[in-house]
Amino acid sequence: MADNKKKSNALTNNALVKKIGGQQLVVILVMIALFIFFCVASESFGQYSTIVSIMDFSYYVTFIAIGVTFALMTGGNDLSIGTGMVCYSLIGGFLISKLGLPVGVGMIVTILCGMLMGTLNGFLVAVLELPPFIATLCTMMIVRGLGSIITGGVSLSWPAADAANGWFRSFFKMTVGNTKVPVGVVWIILAVIIMSIILTKTKPGRYIIAIGSNKEAARLSGVNVIKWHMLAYIICGFFTGLAGIAYAGTFQTLTPGTGAGLELDAICAAIIGGTSMYGGQGTIVGTLIGVFLMCILKTGLPYIGLQANWQQIIIGMVLILAVLMDVLRTKKRA
Amino acid sequence: MKKKLLSVLLCMAMTATLFAGCGQNGGADANADANVSADANTNEDAAGGNETTGYKFEIVSKGFQHQYWQAVLKGSQNKAAELGAKINFVGPDSESDIAGQVQMLQSAINAQPDAIGLAALDTKACLDAIVTAQEAGIPIVGFDSGVPGAPEGAIVANAATDNYAAGVLAAEETYKLIEAKLAAGVRIGVMGQDATAESIINRGLGFIDKMAELVTAKGLTVTVEGNDKYVADCAVTPVDGADVVIEVLVPSEVKNELSITDGSTLLNKADTICIYGSNQFSAENLVSADENIGRLGVDVVGVGFDSGATLKAAVASGKLAGAITQAPVAMGEKLVELLYTATTGGSVADVDTGCQWYTADNMNNEEIAQNLYD
Repeated sequence: MADNKKKSNALTNNALVKKIGGQQLVVILVMIALFIFFCVASESFGQYSTIVSIMDFSYYVTFIAIGVTFALMTGGNDLSIGTGMVCYSLIGGFLISKLGLPVGVGMIVTILCGMLMGTLNGFLVAVLELPPFIATLCTMMIVRGLGSIITGGVSLSWPAADAANGWFRSFFKMTVGNTKVPVGVVWIILAVIIMSIILTKTKPGRYIIAIGSNKEAARLSGVNVIKWHMLAYIICGFFTGLAGIAYAGTFQTLTPGTGAGLELDAICAAIIGGTSMYGGQGTIVGTLIGVFLMCILKTGLPYIGLQANWQQIIIGMVLILAVLMDVLRTKKRA
Repeated sequence: MKKKLLSVLLCMAMTATLFAGCGQNGGADANADANVSADANTNEDAAGGNETTGYKFEIVSKGFQHQYWQAVLKGSQNKAAELGAKINFVGPDSESDIAGQVQMLQSAINAQPDAIGLAALDTKACLDAIVTAQEAGIPIVGFDSGVPGAPEGAIVANAATDNYAAGVLAAEETYKLIEAKLAAGVRIGVMGQDATAESIINRGLGFIDKMAELVTAKGLTVTVEGNDKYVADCAVTPVDGADVVIEVLVPSEVKNELSITDGSTLLNKADTICIYGSNQFSAENLVSADENIGRLGVDVVGVGFDSGATLKAAVASGKLAGAITQAPVAMGEKLVELLYTATTGGSVADVDTGCQWYTADNMNNEEIAQNLYD
């Protein structure tokens, strides 16, 4: 026991580890190891097109994961982001493909829908003090149904890349010559930098962290906890809207009633990246790292010939490890 | 106290909204799975004609998300209007929601209709309900993939695509396109949406078995690898070091990115010469996967199943060499016709609603175009 403590002290005292954060460093190392492993195990994995695919799948997860990090940071959760993302995207797509409105309008509406639902989530959690798990479980069902109702239950597509109004797809992937360039990475990096600054260097961010650490203490020290608590969910909704656009830009068809389970990918990514389930702790960079670990795992496992059920088992085990690290860390803090 | 009251009120308001949404189509009871989406999942249709015969049919489909089902719905609505019958067309949220469909079937029986149309996701799961219907004297007519393996006499007739035959047709047409390239050391890819739905499995097996037969007839050895269910159920005995490998990939969940990864995995293997996507989901994701790779229509032959805007465009542009289409509108019409005949005491027999191979050349022919949907 004493030995263990000494070892962990030695680890945490290292300057580099301190700067990046212990768990993130482990995750980065695991990610690199995994990438190398997949490249060695399957010669077709290490190709440029595979990397573009990993990027393609990472955009929408990154957006909802950044959003949900804010909700997790308050000690809450947001389960409505998976079905919500598909729902807002369906609403936007409906305006574009069925009502013939410009793509720009569809995009703005998609984001506004996300923010509206974020506000509702925030209201339920911060004002009415419903448990976040239950509140967002309810809104998850609501948005799932809403998407079906608005589109009449039919799947639909945003304009294809080669269609006249398919320009929005080049926000995420551009064709230069014969090469596909995953330009969506630029938005991801931008979002991570901006949200990291907001979370750590601005008043709203610090208050959100404070609410997650100890809501009562924050309230007593004069913080308007209701306002900032709600803001965390509105930010989450905003990013869910962005994710809706990324999802529509990456995939061909949006199917009503789908999206359930995607929120878990995002929450998992945030937790793998070091965000605490108990609130008050986490970083946006960590979340990004978590997203990429998940994406590499999900993309790589089929390449090494591992069948469907085994993939789920492995992802489940990775999560147990990540949550275990969170639990141990929280215990240590206490 | 005030806050508690407020939260209770809000919960009630939310619940009321849900029911209001469901109530529009009066089908809330038919959708036990997720009543929030009952509105979209239920399509009750009164007779469009002036006179009603008073017959009421419950139709339990596999869901509404794919436009294919909208075409079946359209066909059945047309026929119901013509015959003056009333239909209630329901389906679960997704084609993997077996439990949800069983609940819908149960609700359909409880509604005491004159007959039930059923496209079972999983026959075994539906068995109890089928027996209940039998005891209640409600005839069941199968459609789409029917109700394979149902107890003798439970299903009075089927209006179904013979999915195995459709897979065979896909293999025959694909073989013509790849025959010149067939040699030792090539790979043929098969993408399946899942390994649970009978229709999807049969389309895969029909393709695998026929392709293996044709390849063997050419004097090459063949093996099947990949998804355990397909490997176990196909007619091919796996061997090591075969000339031709048929690789079947099925995603762990019905999610676009997982299916696209399957597509990329196959496209990234240098020895792959053709890939068959056995439904709209798989075929679309094959096309998506190729966006980053660009081998379809160049040195890999892509073959799809069903239609939809993306697939039609891919076939038209030659990215996919061709695809199989079923006849969903005709299927809906035949289904209601069979339900009507079974109810009125006429004799009914199975109807194969058929399938067609379409390519860029023939997809605008009227005979084919009527079965292609966006």
